Amino acid sequence: MLEDDHERFRVDARRRVLTLGVGAAGLFAVLIGRLFNLQVLRGGAYRDLAENNRISLQPLPAPRGRVFDRFERMLVENSPNYRLVAIPEISGPVSELVGRIRQITELSDEQIEQVLKQAKRQRAFLPLKIKSHLSWSELSRIETRIHELPGVEIQAQARRHYPHGALLAHVLGYLGEVTERDRKRFPNFRYRAGDLIGKTGIERAFETQLRGHEGVREMEVNAIGRRVRELARREPDQGRDLTLTIDLDLQRDAEAALGENSGAVVALDPRNGEVLAMASSPSYDPNRFIEGFRSDEWRELITDPFRPLSNKAVQGRYPPGSTFKIVVALAALESGKISPHEKLFCGGHLTRHDHRFHCWRRGGHGSVNLKQAMAQSCDVYFYRVAEKLGIDTIHDMADRLGFGRQSGIALGGERRGINPSREWKKANLGKIWFPGETLISAIGQGYNLATPLQLANMMAAVANGGVLYKPTLVRPARGREPQVLRHTRLRPEDLAFVKEALEEVVHGARGTAHNGRPELVRAGGKTGTSQVVRHKREASGKIIKDDDPTLRDHALYVSYAPADDPVLAIAAVVEHGGGGGSVAAPVVKQVMDGHFARRKQWWERRAL
Amino acid sequence: MSANSGKRSAPLTQAEPTSSLQERLYRFPWGLLITLLLIVAVGLLVLYSAVGGGESSQMLIKQGVRVAVAFVLMLLIAFSGEKFYRRHAYTLYLLVVVLLVVVFLSGVIGMGARRWLDLGVVRLQPSELMKVALVLALARYFHDRGAIKRFGWREIWPPLLMLALPMALILKQPDLGTALAVAAAGGVVIFVAGLPWRILIGGALAAAAAAPLLWQGLHDYQRRRVMTLFSPEEDPLGAGYHIIQSKIAVGSGGIVGKGFLAGSQNRLDFLPERHTDFIFSVLAEEWGFIGALGLLGLYGLIIARGLHIALNARNRFGMLAATGLTAMVGLQVVINIGMVIGLLPVVGIPLPLVSYGGSSMLTIMIAMGLLAHINIHAKPMSGGGV
Repeated sequence: MLEDDHERFRVDARRRVLTLGVGAAGLFAVLIGRLFNLQVLRGGAYRDLAENNRISLQPLPAPRGRVFDRFERMLVENSPNYRLVAIPEISGPVSELVGRIRQITELSDEQIEQVLKQAKRQRAFLPLKIKSHLSWSELSRIETRIHELPGVEIQAQARRHYPHGALLAHVLGYLGEVTERDRKRFPNFRYRAGDLIGKTGIERAFETQLRGHEGVREMEVNAIGRRVRELARREPDQGRDLTLTIDLDLQRDAEAALGENSGAVVALDPRNGEVLAMASSPSYDPNRFIEGFRSDEWRELITDPFRPLSNKAVQGRYPPGSTFKIVVALAALESGKISPHEKLFCGGHLTRHDHRFHCWRRGGHGSVNLKQAMAQSCDVYFYRVAEKLGIDTIHDMADRLGFGRQSGIALGGERRGINPSREWKKANLGKIWFPGETLISAIGQGYNLATPLQLANMMAAVANGGVLYKPTLVRPARGREPQVLRHTRLRPEDLAFVKEALEEVVHGARGTAHNGRPELVRAGGKTGTSQVVRHKREASGKIIKDDDPTLRDHALYVSYAPADDPVLAIAAVVEHGGGGGSVAAPVVKQVMDGHFARRKQWWERRAL
Repeated sequence: MSANSGKRSAPLTQAEPTSSLQERLYRFPWGLLITLLLIVAVGLLVLYSAVGGGESSQMLIKQGVRVAVAFVLMLLIAFSGEKFYRRHAYTLYLLVVVLLVVVFLSGVIGMGARRWLDLGVVRLQPSELMKVALVLALARYFHDRGAIKRFGWREIWPPLLMLALPMALILKQPDLGTALAVAAAGGVVIFVAGLPWRILIGGALAAAAAAPLLWQGLHDYQRRRVMTLFSPEEDPLGAGYHIIQSKIAVGSGGIVGKGFLAGSQNRLDFLPERHTDFIFSVLAEEWGFIGALGLLGLYGLIIARGLHIALNARNRFGMLAATGLTAMVGLQVVINIGMVIGLLPVVGIPLPLVSYGGSSMLTIMIAMGLLAHINIHAKPMSGGGV
């Protein structure tokens, strides 16, 4: 009985043990099945995942293309920025390290505080920036003692550098960190936060060429991001270099001529529309955008009433004043409503529609023909001409010469200006055109607004015989025809007559631009003085003192030279400068003198 | 064998004579020993890779010393006198319960849990020892009950209490994994002892009913781990991180593996706790499917041999103990690998003989020593020996 029980138990237990064995085998089969699935069936996919885990792609930034002037002189370059970097893991406690570095090179308390703060924030195996923009003397001092500082090294980074500082800053532009709007501008390119991108000027306009293609470094990293070793590397392609049409000497002269004044100078080659100089004053140093501003510096820059950040050559809009008389004269000649020798009387003012239209010369010019009226800039003569022409004829001629339209120059923010007409006024102000406004328009006042570039380009078109070129800043490929905005189809005899008149302005006995007479060549030109506060002045009934600088007239001057074969067309605007003849003309003269002196020198040297 | 042949017909209750050393050596399960040595060797190699190939040789030396000590202990147990463990099963059990209480009162806190007793030289994890102690105590209990016709509640509540007490103490630490391993080992002994199927099924249903209550009692991190099992990708940097990285490591090993010391997941610090609970991932990454199968095969041999020993045990105690100890080792293998390859929640159970750590190594070797011990004193008709 007992034996039976034991035997029964033994049989039952054996069966249970075997059940366990089968169960274990089943569990093992599940494990093996899972392993088969993971390792054999999906092994490839997991291998990819493992690769992604351990390979980190690090971008190698491409140096931006350099920029040269038309004679291949460096305008924008990439200079190495030497930074002192430490890897705290190797160098030991950062607080001690900065003490040792301080014995070798200068470190302000503020800088040390920054470094310590950063050290706390980042991992000890990542490079910690101690100091950037090391000078050569600092560099050599550190180099000689670097062996005393384990874990410390000097790193070189390509840094955008503008060797001429504020010179040509508005054309070159500056770099800034990429924003969401920038990304939208280039949807096909990947920009990372903190990348630098051209914000204005050439840097912005030719971003895609200048940028180049970044390289890539494949780094093996571990889970916490520590670099283990480099696996592969694709070197970056440097961005394309650009050669500008700018003549650095002419540019320097233009900026020097403007001096402390607020304003702009644009110099074009009338034969092809190449921009030889484009100055806007006051200026700024684009290097500061790389180095970073102090907040007070930045505030000063953006609140400056003279707007140093705006490129007045394309963004400044000024009433063209008497320089606009060139347009009216050409319209008058072409219409045939005025013969070149017909004289009109100027008594100092003209009364129309219960309103007195003054000439700048209170006493009047008497009877003057077109050439005399141009030379002496008689307003009444042009009032009378405008009456005969009507605003539509004037508007059409101004339109043909580029007013009221963008030139399409490769610079951001170019303004269109205003070339008023009946349609323009109806569309923009909702009012009908008054006949008196035609008179005001004829002397470049009223609604008329033009950029210095438009004025220069108009002058160039007159100088070259009637072709309005598209102003260009980048030297076109050899053999490439310059781009034409418009063939004005002005009659040569009309142009010839106007140019004679413009020469008279500069060289005539009574010409208003005798201050703009160049030393080495004959020139044609036209002065302009545009009123800033005409309406204010009339409304208040008081004469406002001329020495309030913000209310003083803008001084303008457009000119070309040499008169017989123009190679230079220049427009200058001096904001609140006063009279065009006395303030703007000398600016242009200075630029021309420098230019033709250099040309002469060059020819002489060639002749030897 | 010849010396024992006369005792073949002796009743089980009769006192067994002690066999000679020569006989014991002959009956010692050498195959089991070789399997163990292979697993330990593999374990040390994988550990060498996991801790950074020589960089932390100290850990390797420490583990080697543990292996050596554990082996000596195993041999001592294997060749010790018969009946010792049956006679002292309850004492051992109570001793470990006391240790657990001491841990509960003044244990060393590590990784947020109170699991260890600092004995100066070593840190002991009594919950590990409990696995063995409970199996022995339950085996003793059912051995003492003798052959019973029917197995009712009257017989079942004392062993359930014996199981519940340490489980409660271990859960309190908290150490869900070890508590489950202890319960599983004990459960196997009860099952083999003849637990009626109706109670087994009834118990399973009761457990299912109690699951929501148990769920409430879990710690947040335990709950998160269970939840994470079902969708690790939802919290890739948090609770799911272990599983995702481990699956990548295992999967990327492919068929033949990336090679010794060449596992990028391992070497680049992607694998957390890779020298302890996740050491199998390192092996699977570097040695591939082939290597993983090999190790599973070795464990399979141990389980098969353990069950074989159980079947041939001289008495009920030996049979139940051998089954329980084998099940304990086998379950730990299944649970550890199951969690590493994303089949089970991450519960913190080391891989027997491979994971870094002393208590686990000690426990497994004690269990192996007991298996050998049972084999040495097996029924003579089993053919003894290997």
